[in-house]
Amino acid sequence: MTDARKQQGEKLTEAEAIERAKQGDAAAFKVLYDLHKRRVYSLCLRMTQNTASAEDLTQEAFLQLFRKIGTFRGESAFSTWLHRMSVNVVLMQLRKKNLPIVPIDDTLEGDEEGTIKKEPGAPDERLAGSIDRLRLQRAVDELPPGYRTIFVLHDVEGYEHNEIAEMVGCSIGNSKSQLHKARLKLRELLRVDRAEKARK
Amino acid sequence: MTCLEFERDLPECVEGQPSPEQQAHLNSCPTCSGLLLDLNSIASQAKMLSAAEEPSAAVWNAIEERLRSEGLIRRSEPIYLPVEAKPSFMQRWRAAWLVPVAAALAVVAVVKLYHPTRLNNDDAKQVQQPIASTAPVKNASAKRKPALSHEDQQWLSTVAARPPAQLAKFRSDLDQANAFIEDAQESLQQDPNDVYMQQMLMNAYEQKQMLYELVVDDSSH
Repeated sequence: MTDARKQQGEKLTEAEAIERAKQGDAAAFKVLYDLHKRRVYSLCLRMTQNTASAEDLTQEAFLQLFRKIGTFRGESAFSTWLHRMSVNVVLMQLRKKNLPIVPIDDTLEGDEEGTIKKEPGAPDERLAGSIDRLRLQRAVDELPPGYRTIFVLHDVEGYEHNEIAEMVGCSIGNSKSQLHKARLKLRELLRVDRAEKARK
Repeated sequence: MTCLEFERDLPECVEGQPSPEQQAHLNSCPTCSGLLLDLNSIASQAKMLSAAEEPSAAVWNAIEERLRSEGLIRRSEPIYLPVEAKPSFMQRWRAAWLVPVAAALAVVAVVKLYHPTRLNNDDAKQVQQPIASTAPVKNASAKRKPALSHEDQQWLSTVAARPPAQLAKFRSDLDQANAFIEDAQESLQQDPNDVYMQQMLMNAYEQKQMLYELVVDDSSH
């Protein structure tokens, strides 16, 4: 009865679903997909800015996962394993398209994004409290690809700089530097956006 | 500390604890304190973007199709019968006799499977007899329709009043389960110690039992 009830829609735990998926159980694959689809798709969408590409990459990431699920031994969290795989799929795709993962101006000192624009301080100029998800999402989409990659991996997905350095193929210092520039750029974009809204 | 000096150490300061020297500068410089506040805010709000979007249903359909074409999904489609209304007590028990029948079938399978060395051709035929046709089938196929046993025919008569589409689905699921059982039994006749086939036969019996149970659970239709 347990089997029957589970197949009728009673929720499987992730661990149960993994074990059943290893046996080729279609319902278990769907459970795993439903558990992680939003995070994987959101990652792909953030990185590519294109819904069709994001769906293709989501599909590819899950297919890779399901093909290799028999090798998953549970030493790491399943979600960590899946997201690492998804990131690799996206990064590989970006490389294929020759999109720069890390901007070439990284080593330049005092470049535009890296310098604080001196403005007279005024509390009402601050962004804090006025950032909502849609505005931030729009601003992230406007980031140069290299900045966006590092920002999404670190601030959105929560990877550490050493992990990003390994995945992207840059130094840890480079990753930190890109992240800082990405945040400064975002601040600038959000301020412009708010100023435009205020004028309307 | 000047603004330039603060700026140099700013990346470490975001999401971290400012040093006493940095804090002193922040207290006296609204530009730098505003900047730090904004960057911290951006970093913390970014987490909202994780898992914010959902892919279309087409993505799963494509994944499932690929998994099937690559043979990664080995078991049949999960049998799902929508339960639109909870059946009454009488309705639930009207077809309850099917459950012990299915359970008995499963018990027979368990007894045979857990003593695989005793299973000879005659025993295998005895297991096969009450379930489905004894006609040998060489290849498993969901399209094949084995002859129905007496229990199966009773089961189908229980669902005869259901809508044609639902009835067809019942019949198709039943045929599939019977085909699985036949194939597994045939393989076990050739190699009674085949552990994989033993498991397949158990799965097939479980699936058939589940079908019977669904009729009981869904008997209001």
